[in-house]
Parts: sequence; structure tokens; C-alpha cells
Amino acid sequence: MKSAVTWMQRTAAAAAMVVMGVTGASAQEPSGEPIKVGILHSLSGTMAISETTLKDAMLMLIEEQNKKGGVLGRPLEPVVVDPASDWPLFAEKARELISQEEVAVVFGCWTSVSRKSVLPVFKELNSILFYPVQYEGEESERNVFYTGAAPNQQAIPAVDYLIDEGVERWVLEGTDYVYPRTTNKILEQYLKDKGVADEDIIINYTPFGFSDWQTEVSRIKEFGSTGKKTAVVSTINGDANVPFYKELGNQGIEATDIPVVAFSVGEEELAGIDTAPLVGHLAAWNYFMSVDTPENEDFIAKWHEFIGNEDRVTNDPMEAHYIGFNMWVKAVEEAGTTDPDEVIAALPGTEVPNLTGGTSVMLPNHHITKPVLIGEINDEGQFDVVSETEDLVPGDAWSDFLPESAKLKADWVELKCGNYDTEAEKCLGDTAMAEEAAN
Amino acid sequence: MTPSIRWLLAALTFLFSAISVAPVHAQESDPAATIQKFGGKQSYDETEAVISELAATGDARVARALRALREGDLYWRESDEAVFIAERNGDNYDLLDPLTGEPAGSEPRGDMSKVRVKNSIRNAVTTALGSLTLRAENPAQRMRAAETLFSEADPEMIEPLDAAIEAESNADVLIRMQEARAAAVLASDRPAPEKAEAAQVLANRGDRESLTMLNRFANSTEDQAARTAAIAAIAAIENNIAFWNQAQNIWYGLSLGSVLLLAAIGLAITFGVMGVINMAHGEMVMLGAYTTFVVQEFIRTSAPGLFEWSLLIALPLAFLVSGTVGLVMERGLIRFLYGRPLETLLATFGVSLILQQAVRTIFGPSNREVGNPDWMSGAFDIGLMSVTWNRLWIIIFALAVFAALLIVLNKTPLGLQMRAVTQNRSMASAMGIRTPWVDAMTFALGSGIAGIAGVALSQVDNVSPNLGQGYIIDSFMVVVFGGVGNLWGTLVGAMSLGILNKFLEPYAGAVLGKIVVLVLIILFIQKRPRGLFAQKGRFVDA
Amino acid sequence: MLLARFLGPRVWILIAALLLAAVLVPMANLYLSPSHPLHVPSYMVPLLGKYVCYALLALALDLVWGYVGILSLGHGAFFALGGYAMGMYLMRQIGARGVYGNPELPDFMVFLNWKELPWYWYGFDQFWFAAIMVMLVPGLLGFVFGYFAFRSRVTGVYLSIITQAMTYALLLAFFRNDMGFGGNNGLTDFKDILGFPIQADSTRAGLFAASCIALAIAVLIVGWITRSKLGKLMVAVRDAESRTRFIGWRPEYVKLFAFTVSAVMAGIAGALYVPQVGIINPGEFAPVNSIEIVVWAAVGGRGTLLGPVIGALLVNYGKTYFTAVAPEFWLFFLGGLFVFVTLLLPRGIIGTIDYGWETWRSRRRASREEKGESDDGEGQPLASPAE
Repeated sequence: MKSAVTWMQRTAAAAAMVVMGVTGASAQEPSGEPIKVGILHSLSGTMAISETTLKDAMLMLIEEQNKKGGVLGRPLEPVVVDPASDWPLFAEKARELISQEEVAVVFGCWTSVSRKSVLPVFKELNSILFYPVQYEGEESERNVFYTGAAPNQQAIPAVDYLIDEGVERWVLEGTDYVYPRTTNKILEQYLKDKGVADEDIIINYTPFGFSDWQTEVSRIKEFGSTGKKTAVVSTINGDANVPFYKELGNQGIEATDIPVVAFSVGEEELAGIDTAPLVGHLAAWNYFMSVDTPENEDFIAKWHEFIGNEDRVTNDPMEAHYIGFNMWVKAVEEAGTTDPDEVIAALPGTEVPNLTGGTSVMLPNHHITKPVLIGEINDEGQFDVVSETEDLVPGDAWSDFLPESAKLKADWVELKCGNYDTEAEKCLGDTAMAEEAAN
Repeated sequence: MTPSIRWLLAALTFLFSAISVAPVHAQESDPAATIQKFGGKQSYDETEAVISELAATGDARVARALRALREGDLYWRESDEAVFIAERNGDNYDLLDPLTGEPAGSEPRGDMSKVRVKNSIRNAVTTALGSLTLRAENPAQRMRAAETLFSEADPEMIEPLDAAIEAESNADVLIRMQEARAAAVLASDRPAPEKAEAAQVLANRGDRESLTMLNRFANSTEDQAARTAAIAAIAAIENNIAFWNQAQNIWYGLSLGSVLLLAAIGLAITFGVMGVINMAHGEMVMLGAYTTFVVQEFIRTSAPGLFEWSLLIALPLAFLVSGTVGLVMERGLIRFLYGRPLETLLATFGVSLILQQAVRTIFGPSNREVGNPDWMSGAFDIGLMSVTWNRLWIIIFALAVFAALLIVLNKTPLGLQMRAVTQNRSMASAMGIRTPWVDAMTFALGSGIAGIAGVALSQVDNVSPNLGQGYIIDSFMVVVFGGVGNLWGTLVGAMSLGILNKFLEPYAGAVLGKIVVLVLIILFIQKRPRGLFAQKGRFVDA
Repeated sequence: MLLARFLGPRVWILIAALLLAAVLVPMANLYLSPSHPLHVPSYMVPLLGKYVCYALLALALDLVWGYVGILSLGHGAFFALGGYAMGMYLMRQIGARGVYGNPELPDFMVFLNWKELPWYWYGFDQFWFAAIMVMLVPGLLGFVFGYFAFRSRVTGVYLSIITQAMTYALLLAFFRNDMGFGGNNGLTDFKDILGFPIQADSTRAGLFAASCIALAIAVLIVGWITRSKLGKLMVAVRDAESRTRFIGWRPEYVKLFAFTVSAVMAGIAGALYVPQVGIINPGEFAPVNSIEIVVWAAVGGRGTLLGPVIGALLVNYGKTYFTAVAPEFWLFFLGGLFVFVTLLLPRGIIGTIDYGWETWRSRRRASREEKGESDDGEGQPLASPAE
């Protein structure tokens, strides 16, 4: 009993020291009441594997900013909570951050369901969320800024690349949840528009954490043995990827025969795999750690210094947070306040350099412009960029390849609407109802 | 270089320049100069042009540079754009001459740039190598060349193949070359009888690729007899494929079953024999997997030569680690809870949360890399079924563990005492058996076995803190389905669930298949509440 | 009143406290100014409401585990099904306010290209229908599952495992997008309930009050059942099932009754939970969640009415607190709690207090009797945990 108490005291003290360490460093130059920044990433449970890194990245960015003098001359103070990969808990923690901690902005979420879970909270309490992960699109909310890729910034350019490489048959392999479902719906339509026949596309879904890929991989092998060049477009989620690639390697499917292009496999995921058998398989992202620019070199160096481990990798969602955080800082400086309404108004049009040598802009639809890079996995667990779009691609909230969404448009500057029906020329859903009520 | 090889090379050079290359290239016979063209920044198209130029030289010596290019080992020096094969050596690259392979000094890494490759470049290299190595000395290389040419099915290669077939002495390689030639013939505009003959060769090969080619041939040929023959051959191949598909399903089922068996077999001891509902069982498996990771990490840094042995080294260590944790758990926790199985469930679940978070704190939340040794990678074919080595070894390993456990339980004094204690504790105690000690040992044994299962599972699954959670429910299903307290039940249960799953999967899909299996288990338990192999006796009433 | 003596003052205090909370918390939230020391901030109301729903769920589990000895590791399934039934009603209430402005189909169906509403969504636009389904679906599942399981005399560990298999199978099923329940994302972005906007403080306060009242009624019902003759039979089944059967009772029907009632209660808890947290998704079916429910009951003290309620409130408050203060240590704490409770507090908090009180009193009585005094304190039937 006694030992339990002392243990508790010790852990509490350790936790307090961590917090003090961060704030203590920040209190050097900037002065005044700190501006609180919420960090809403799972530190335990199934998503901890991906999200913990993002929490660390945010802590680093905030520390850097404080060294530069904070924001509006005030220091930034990170508030970290753990939603524990539990979706209702995301909403509860978001509410806690906004109402109780009174944070000025929240950086967080990874899965679509966690974002959907916190959305009503951000709308109700009128705060700002920066969401850093590639997602299925079909959303544009006033209080959310999407710094990850929309489908047109990842999936479609990747498929274009493969078409150029002569691929004629397609396996769309995904985990059964909303991102793969939507992406595959979009890609199926896109491929058919390009003249790909029905029998040259198969779509298959597997559950989360699927680990026995023998049947699926042998089916891919069979599908690819018709002489036509075949590729796999993988929207397989996190954990299931390792056994999938292992099975591919073992069944002797090489990238030169049937390349796999993945949208959820980045440097962090590859850190758990021996990449030698995977060389040549592809991934499409807006950032790779291997990109050779001074900004990126600087970012990686700071990351290694912050985390104290030279082996840690950087990845695309980290860059998204980098961009999002800098945009927020710039918008707050411009607005001269952290008031959500003014910051939301100031954000569209904000330009900040990204890590791949370009300048990303926040668009009126709350998505950003990004370059699309296609990388091949190399034997060091990194990606060699084999293709890059010439210009930055603007993120499209509503896909042009889904019948119901093609007619929708998001514009929070002119139209003040996230889902404007260009045919009926009115804002749909919630907003429409509100307007009607007002009239 | 022996005279005969020199002769071969000369013949090849002649052959290639004669058939496929413009005269301009034939004059440019200095491959060393051509290789240097890889230097400097260039587009993929330019690289590909240099590759075909090299292939056109027909000089087998360029194979070294091409292979290095494919593996991504070809670099150029930034100061003078000179091309080398580079091997990493700390912060430097050791340079080799791309043509001769002679050492050519070393350069710091920053001063060298890689010749960029992508899949289409690799394919171009493979094709080029295919024609260049068709007459290589090593039969394996010739075999690979023939395989490449088979899938290329390029009519231009018929003549070089003819020449190679003439000279071929190895029977296996010969067959492959003839098949490659047949594929090329079918793709060419050769006369009908020759095509019919080629179709026959493919019919004998009888795999999926030949099926596609035959289909194309049957649809396009005007020769009635040849078409009938091709259609018959197609039917035969399809039959053959259907048969092998079933065999493949059974094999996949067995291999899934062996994974389930490995995951469940430790539980068959702790839960089945002792009646302890060990929810931390999955974490014992996880600890075994992490032990493998630590062993491999250690080997990587201090004794890279031992990597092939890493799994064998990890086995006893994983047994010890998980066994020790099990022992501590039994002594510190479970022994106070005997006779209250549902409470052990809660307590061990708590332990499982603590172990998970502890591993997360120590090793980080992300997946850790556990490599496959060479003997665990790759596959070989039996008929039309491809058998991967890692699955084969896991099946063998699972059965070996099972057999060893049977022997321990039935033939050793410890096993005898275990059975005595579980069957009649007070009598065993009266006979002088130290029952607490036996309890501890049994639990440690079960946990240790879970640990060595972790070594095997690290080869097919993620090594992450969540590893154990993925298996715990399946393991309980297997043990309950097979019948608690019966090792044979666990074996039969695991294998039949594995096979059932794999036969449902192609029809119902992976998700629905698994749901159906779960529902069937629930229904089965209604029918036979004590599982497949129910333990008989007067003391089974719970 | 007979019931009053049956239940004992402590339970009445609990019920009174719940009813008081149902009135005071909303009032403190709505009518006190934010600067007032007793003001309950708006974010606290749904949080407290969530705890109360969990308490109801823990009580439902306690009915089968604490009183009948059935350790269900699948109660999360009933909770989630009730939640889904409510979620479907809330989804239909969105109507044309979804992002695509489609009055017929929920958003997730629109962008996955569904053309019409699946048949099993019919009727959920009516509250009364949804309210019936909230009880009927979990109740029916509990009844059918229990009927087969208890008739076949699947008991103890086996039963626990197959209840776990049940919730796991449902988890996988609801994850499938083809099922038409929104897949992994579940149902979310609710707008209003019974015409009241779901984000409004007053609605939240109302839902909180409803949860408190539901819990109070559940405590009454469970108290009534367990103190009745049937309740005695339940305890008999728990402590000696075979003996009960040999005497001539049919334990399977006793179990089936308790299991079905418990499933319905869990369903109601789920239905109240969903509008307060704003989302229902398949994660609620996860076997781990069901095990956590067991822990709440164990911490508070199973086989008591007060225990599961106290346990659920305490553990969940701990979760809220720890995930904010020391996120990395939450699982250590929860895991440690499991071990600590089973090892050192097998009766749970309430059970231990009772036990301590009882021992102290009997000792005192013994000493008094020596002195020739008598003691006539009220008797609280004590359920000692047993396997």
C-alpha cells in the first residue's frame, strides 16, 4: 500500500516536471499570459502508434516558436490530453480543452471517426481544429482546417502516375472503413472514366488489424497473371500493412511485377519492416523525409535534437502540422488576437513555406495547396521520389468523381458555406435551414 | 578468362549486333564508355536509353553494372560525373569499377549521387539482363533469363533462344527455354503449324500464364485443329488450377491453424489444464516477440554474422522471459485466486494492461522491425501451389512445440505431477507432491510456451504493444472449441478453425468469414458445452 | 412501506441523491451565473450524464453477475445496440440538414452511393418506435442468446467466453460498411432530439436529469427483484446451481429472466448515453469495453445495489482525471486497479465497508451481550461474493 502511494507520487512528480520543463523553457523571452494550444492525439490504445509522434512534433514546434518570441509577444503553452483511441473520449477531451483549459486552438485527431466525433464540439464552442492527416474529403467545416491531403491530392495523382507507367489492371485493396471506401469509390469512377473495363478492376476489403493475407495476396497474384500490367492501390490501414507486405515478399510478388501504391504507408510505418523485399513499391504523399531541401534538413535536425534519437523519422502528417502551426501563428499575428472568429477569417489566403521547397496556401475551402510526390520504397526504409507534380495541387473538399458531391463547392470567404450546391445555387443542410428560419 | 567463354562472348556479341541493333551501335563497342553515360543528372528516359544501348553491345561484362543499377548501387561522382558501383562503408562509399569490379578508391557519401531508378528502369534492366545472361555460365542465371523471356514473350527473342536451346545442357533450363520460345512464337506472326506446336508446349506447362496465352491464341487462330487442341488444353489447365486451388485453400487453412495453435497452446496449459483464465496470455506472446526483437537488435550491433541464427537464439530466451513473468504472476497474484476463475480473469486483465503500457513506455508505441532470416523468406512451388518458407516453418514449428508439450506432460515427472495436481489436488498433496511448486511450474511452462509462440508470430505479424490483443480472443475460442483440458482438442480445434476460415474467405470475404466462424463457435458451444473433446469425469461440474 | 424495509436506508439515500442531482445539477448549470462557486459548467453536464449512464450499465451487469453469478463479458453489446437504436432515430431527425441536403438518406449513405434507405431503418424517424427498439433489440438478443446458452447449461468460464465471442462478432459486423450503420465512423453529427437542439444547455440538462431518473428507477427495480422471492432464488442459483435444480427449480429460467432484464437495462443506458456524447460507433462493441464494465462493478462491490453505481462513477472519474493529468500512466493505473481490487478488495468498496461494519458490530454485540445489553439495529442483507 505504502509503495503504491510513493509510486503514484513519483509519477505525478515526473509528470509535473515534464510540464514544467516545457513551460520553463518557454518563459525566457516572451512575456504575459501564455496562449494555450491544445494537443488532442491518442497516447494510448491502438492509435498511439501513429499519434504519439504528432504530439511530440507539436511540442517541438511550440518550443521552437517560444524561442522565437512566442506569438503576439506571449508565450505558447501546450496542453496535452490523451483521448486514448476512444472516440467518445475525443469529444469529451475536446470539450475539456476548449471550455476548461480555454485553449486558443487545437491540433489533433488522426482517424476520420475521431474528427467526426469532435466536430460538433468545435462547432458548438466555436474553436479551431487543425487536422493533419490525409482523409476521404467530403467535408468542409468552418471551424476545421484540413492540412492533410484530400483524395485529389494523393489518390488521383498516384493513379495517373501508374497509368503513365502502363498499368491496365487494378486491384483496389483496402481496410473496411470510410477512407478506403470513399477513396475507392472515387478511384473506380475515375478509372472507368479513363476507359478501364469493369473486369479489370477488383475491390476488396479486409477488417482492421487483418494479419492473414495469404488468400488475398494469392488472389492478387492470380489477377495479375493475365499478361496485362497490374497494380495494387492500397488503402490498407496502419497495422495490417506489415503482414501484407511480408506476405507479398514471401509469395515473390516484386514491385517490378505488381507494384503496390499505398496511401497510408509512410516512413513511420516502414520503421517496423525490413524494407529490402519491398524496394520499388510506391507511396503517394505530399512530403517525404528524403526530400532534399534546406527547410527539410533543418526540420529533421531539430526533430532529432528534440526527440534525442537520430533514428526517428519524420513523415507527412508531421509536415502537415508544421504547415498548419505556422499558418495559425501567422494568422494570429495578422489578426492581432487569438479570437477564433478573427483567426478563422484571417486564415484563408495565409501562405507559409512547406518543407518540400514550395509555398502552401490556405484556401477558402479550408484545405491547402500541396505538391504531390510519388516515392518508391528504398532499402533504407525511406522513399526515393520518382514523380512530383509541377505545381502545387489545391485540395478539393468535394470530389468531382462522386455523383452527389460533384456539384458541391466549399467557400468560407465569399459564400460562407462549406457545402454550396452550385446547381440549386444555395447552401445545403444546416446552413440552409438556419437561413430559412431567419427569413 | 577461359578461351571457351571468350568464344561464347564473341558469339553473343555477334548475335546481338546482328539481330536487334542499329548499325550505329554495333560500331560503338566500348561498354565502359557507355556505362559512363549514366553519370550526371538525367531523366528516366535517358537512363533507359543508356540501358538499351548497353544491352545492344551484347557484351556480358555490362551485366555487373546493370545489376548494380537495378539494386540501386550505381553512383556517380559529383566532381567529374564518373560512374562507380558503390558499397557503403560507414560515412564513405567504397568504389568499384562498374565494368571490371576492381576497387577504385573511396569517397565520402556526400560527394556521390545515386543513379536514380524506378520500376520501369528495373524492368528494362531485367529484360536486358535476360538477353545478356541467356548463355551465362551459371544455370540459375540462365534459368532466370528464360523465365524473364517467357513473361516478355518477345518475338524478336526467338532466334537467340534457338541458339541458346541448341547449346543448353541442363534439362530443366532447356524446358524453360523452350517454353519461353513457345510464348514468343505465339506472340509472333510465324506460320500456323509452328504456333500449334508452341501451344502444345504451353499446354504442357499448364500454369496461369500459359492459360492466358492459350486463351489469346484460341481466340485468334484460324487453324481449326489447333484451336480445338488449345481449347482442350485450356479445359485441362482450368481443371488442374481448380484442383490446386483447393489444395492451396487447405494449405492456407493449415498455416492459419498453426498460427492459432501456437497462440493457443500456452493457453491450453494455463487455462485448459490449470483452469486459470489468463487474459495476459496475449502479452506473454508479445513479450516473446519483443525478446526476438531485442535479440536481433543485439546481433545487428555486435555480431551480424549470427543473424541467421537469431530466431534459434531467441527461442530459449523468449521461453525464459515469458516463463519468468508467468512465474512472478503466479506467485504474486494468481495463487491467491485459485478457485475463483472469474476473478483471475479480472486480475490478469489488469496485468495485461500494465504489461502493454510497460512495453509501450520502454520500446515506444510503434512497430519494431523483426527481420526474416533467409531460410524464412521466399517460396517454392508444388504443382501450381506456392508454398512460402515462413509458413512451412511455422507449421513445422507449431507441430514440434505441440509434440514437445505432449512429451513433457506424459513422459516427464513434472508432467506426471501436473496431471496429478490438476486431477486431485489433495490426494497429490498427500502423496508428497509440492502442489504450490507444481502450480508455479505449470503456469511458467504455459507462459513460456506463449513466449516461444511470440518468436514465431514475430515473423508474420506486427511486433507492437497491441500484438497480444489480436490473438487473445482467437486463442480462447480455439481452446474452448477444442475442449478445455485436452491438448489434442486444441490441435484439432486450431486446424479446423483455420481451414474453415480459409474456405469461407473466398466466398464470404475476410470480415464476414470471421463473423460466420464466431457464430458457428457460439452455436457449437450450445450443442457441446464442453467443446470438441470434452473432459470426462465426475469432477467436471463447475 | 414494505419496500422501504427491504431496501434499507442506504439505497433510499442513493435514490434521493439521484433525484436531487437530477434537479440541482441542471439548475446550477442553467440558473447560476458562471462566476458563482456552485455553478456547474456546461461541459460538466454531459460528462456527468455519461457517468450516470455508465452507472446504469454497471448496475445492469451487477444484476446478472452479482446476483445470479453469470459473468457476462458481452454487456457492451447490449449497451451499443441500445445506443445504435437511439442513434438511428437521431440520424433520421437530421433530415435535410445533412451536408448533401438529402432528406431521405443519412450523409454516409449518400457518399457511398446508396440509393434508398435499407428496410431496417424504417420506423426510426418516430421516437416511440426507436424507444421500443432501444429495449426490444437488446432484450431480444439477450433472450435468444440466453435461452440457448442456459438451456444447454453453458456455465461459468464457457459462458463468459461465448458472450465475448458474441460482442466480438457484432463488433466485426458493425465495422462493415455494407451493414448500413456507418461502418467505423458510426453515427454522429446529431442535430436534435424530440425537437430540442441537442447542443443546447437545456437539452443537455434534460438528458442528464433523464439519466438520473432512469438510474433511480433501475435501482428500485433491481432492488425490488433481488429482494423478492425470485431474488432469493437468483442468489441460490449463484451459490449452488445444481442444488437449486435438484430441489426442483429451473435455474435456466431464473437466469434467462435476469439476463433479459439486464440486457434491456443496458440498452436503455446506451440510448441515454448516445445523445450526450454525440456519437455511437462499433468501438462500443469492443470486448475490452465489456471487461471494463465488469471492473466498475467489481470496484464498487458486486451483489450490492450501491456498489456498481459508486464503482462506475469513481473509475470513470479517474479515467477523466488521469487521461488529462498523466496520460501515459492511465493504463498503469487502470491495470493496477484491477489487480488491487481482486487481490485486496474482493468485496469491492461497498462490500468491504459492509463487511468491516458487520464485523465491528458483531464484535461489539458480542461484547455487549457479555454485559447483557441488546442490539436492535436494522438488518442489511449481505451478499457475500462467491463463485
